[in-house]
Amino acid sequence: MGLPRKDRIRAKLKSEDTTVRVLLSHPMHTGRAKNKDEELIPAEFIQDIRCWRNDEEVLTIKCGTATARNPYFSFQLAGGEQGDKITLRWVDNLGAKGKAEAVVK
Amino acid sequence: MTDNTMQQRRAILKGAISASTLALVAASGLLLPRQLLAHWPTDAFSAETVEDALLALLGEAEIADDAALNFKVGSPPSYAINGASVPIQLESSLKNIERIAILVEKNPFPLAMSLELTPAVKLPIKSMIKIREDSPVIAIIRADGKLYKTTRFVEVDIGGCG
Repeated sequence: MGLPRKDRIRAKLKSEDTTVRVLLSHPMHTGRAKNKDEELIPAEFIQDIRCWRNDEEVLTIKCGTATARNPYFSFQLAGGEQGDKITLRWVDNLGAKGKAEAVVK
Repeated sequence: MTDNTMQQRRAILKGAISASTLALVAASGLLLPRQLLAHWPTDAFSAETVEDALLALLGEAEIADDAALNFKVGSPPSYAINGASVPIQLESSLKNIERIAILVEKNPFPLAMSLELTPAVKLPIKSMIKIREDSPVIAIIRADGKLYKTTRFVEVDIGGCG
């Protein structure tokens, strides 16, 4: 791995709604691809993503293997104001976890 | 304990550890993920046809084709050079959306993602998915207890489900 893994999240207030953009750093191996030595790469993919605004849970995303590498999501939250805290947590099929936070700008 | 038996002990321990990791990896693949993550809808994600996936995820329900959905796959629409990351965008004028499911009909496991929304979330939603070959991509929305479905056919130059 060249660059260190980093999950990115941005939240911006745009015409009264909050736009959240998320870019997670994850290889999302399906379990069907092979490496250079023709060995199967074991499955490793994000299964569950949850998103909170302040303390309110707003969105749950369940992913299968067909979610692209370094998953990207973008969605809107109704209303909101500057300074809201957007939190996102993910879990993959091997139990690895990640967390990303952003403050609405 | 002598050095020799200690060495043996190590070898046995090492063997046991690698065997258990292997078992874990095998179980965490698509074979038996149920044991690890009960909240992840295994049946739906490991279903091999669209019908089975939908049945496992949503139960039986009538599905209406609907013009209220605006679903874009690929860029430019309906075309993707690289199937490993195909942009999708879903917009709708429907209210009270509870759940969205994205399925790729010709993928080994059609269900790509399933989103559970609270009323605070508004569309459009954008993401990226993998598509193995030219295939219809289906978006299903459950709103107010009804299901709405829309389909787009996408051509893929390089399959992306390796």
